Amino acid sequence: MADTFISTRPDTNTSETVPEGQTAKTQIVIKNLSVTYKDDGTRGVTAALQDVNLEIRKGEFISLVGPSGCGKTTLLRVIADLIPSTAGDVFISGLTPREARLEKRFGIVFQNPVLMDWRTIRRNVCLPLELLKMPKPLRTKKVTEMLDLVGLQEFGHHYPCELSGGMQQRVGIARALAIDPKILLMDEPFSALDEFTKEKLHEDLLRIWRQTNKTVVFVTHNIQEAVFLSDRVVVFSPHPGRVTSVVNITLPRPRTAGMKNTVDFTELVAKVRSGFVGV
Amino acid sequence: MQREMKKPVWEKIAASPRTVTVVWVIGLVLVWEAGAFAVEAVKRTPENVLPHLYQILASVFSTKKVTASQTAVQIVIINACVTLGRAGIGFVIGAAAGYVLALCMRLSGAVEKTVFPYLMLVQMIPILGMAPIVLAVTRDIDKSRVIIAAILTFYPVAVNTLAGFKSIEKEKFELFHSYAATTPQIYVKMMIPASVPYLFTGLKISAPMAVTASILVDTLQGGGGLGCMLSQSLKHAMSIYVFWQIVFFSAFVGILSYYGIVLLERIVSPGRRNQTRNAGGAK
Repeated sequence: MADTFISTRPDTNTSETVPEGQTAKTQIVIKNLSVTYKDDGTRGVTAALQDVNLEIRKGEFISLVGPSGCGKTTLLRVIADLIPSTAGDVFISGLTPREARLEKRFGIVFQNPVLMDWRTIRRNVCLPLELLKMPKPLRTKKVTEMLDLVGLQEFGHHYPCELSGGMQQRVGIARALAIDPKILLMDEPFSALDEFTKEKLHEDLLRIWRQTNKTVVFVTHNIQEAVFLSDRVVVFSPHPGRVTSVVNITLPRPRTAGMKNTVDFTELVAKVRSGFVGV
Repeated sequence: MQREMKKPVWEKIAASPRTVTVVWVIGLVLVWEAGAFAVEAVKRTPENVLPHLYQILASVFSTKKVTASQTAVQIVIINACVTLGRAGIGFVIGAAAGYVLALCMRLSGAVEKTVFPYLMLVQMIPILGMAPIVLAVTRDIDKSRVIIAAILTFYPVAVNTLAGFKSIEKEKFELFHSYAATTPQIYVKMMIPASVPYLFTGLKISAPMAVTASILVDTLQGGGGLGCMLSQSLKHAMSIYVFWQIVFFSAFVGILSYYGIVLLERIVSPGRRNQTRNAGGAK
């Protein structure tokens, strides 16, 4: 049921008046959000998301999990202003998604790395900075900093095709963080990677998150992944796409791979799983 | 020590792609020479039908003048410059026009709907039919060579480049959207570079075609050029070896034009050599 999640601060528009630096500040507010797709044929409309309410705190690592067709990606895309909402409101620090996008609040990491294969790794990371017309010395400095962050210093002059899938995805993360966005939106970024690469990237992502203090919205269909990474896991169910529960992940930070063998972890995974409806 | 699989030398040779080329060349030479011997046995002037390869080769190095002032190889080279120079100009013009048209079709759905279905017509008119018309209109063999080469180049380049624009993943656009990139930025930083491999596919198809077409245009008029010499020597106006030299020379140039484009592509877009491996994803 959508209302099992009771937001601590239902009056959303006040959130942006809270001054910077306060802890537990709400950053993204989603209120009664619905998204329907018009089918091309005559079949009418599909409810991708129905009446979603959610608040995402500043600096929080939040995961959206659910089976395909549950609307988790749709929600991410609405936040990123890649698709319009049909009803309801989304505010990012008081801005609409469009305003937030124009203010460059988002860094997006897609399932595919989406690198420009004619550009070297350095120039790929540099791309958003070029688009923002940052002066060249600053760009060079920033790119070096980003490659250090994701551990790809030595590969700056390689081309994407020379890198493994995991490394390419690191480049994607470096590029997303290059413009110093407030929010990192990740759409199943590791789902195409093998388990070993994935585990390594999990650890790296958590380290990067800790170092940069970004808010991370992480879409995945992998429950273990969501539990391991997140502060909170939002469970989606399909037909129509909706939020059916929100699970607080009480595991201590920093997380280590060993935690996956603990009873707490298993119980949290079970709790997330029990949130699915009609799957 | 060397317990690892050390392949015998002949296996290594058999596995090499060069071996295939060598086998083909040897095979073709054998078939040619077999034919030449057969022709020699039954014809009085076998060089008109199928001379031996060594005879052709000898004619290249021969200093005997086949016209008042030129040896066979001089004729070939002088006329090749005339023909291929025009073919090259036409190729560049056609490629540029094709690319710009593809860009226009991408920019405007109306242009695409209007132009694209009929673009194929250009390709369907036989070049033999088109060439005399172009010549009649321009009244200049040089211009005709350029125009015909351009027309032939234009279509593969336009179609392939458009396909390139259309094959760009949605996520690339979303990425640029998320950075609030301007339309010129999207074109310059993403769409145009992304279309380069497709442009080169078009160029690889059309380069040998441009060569062939401009030789063909030469035959329409006696004003020089490879094609003109080709028909003249075939009519015994000069040594038949000019004909054979041109045949081999143009085949060589056609192949060379293809590999020239391949080389150019390597220089222009260095990051794409191992794309198939890239497509494999996580490894």
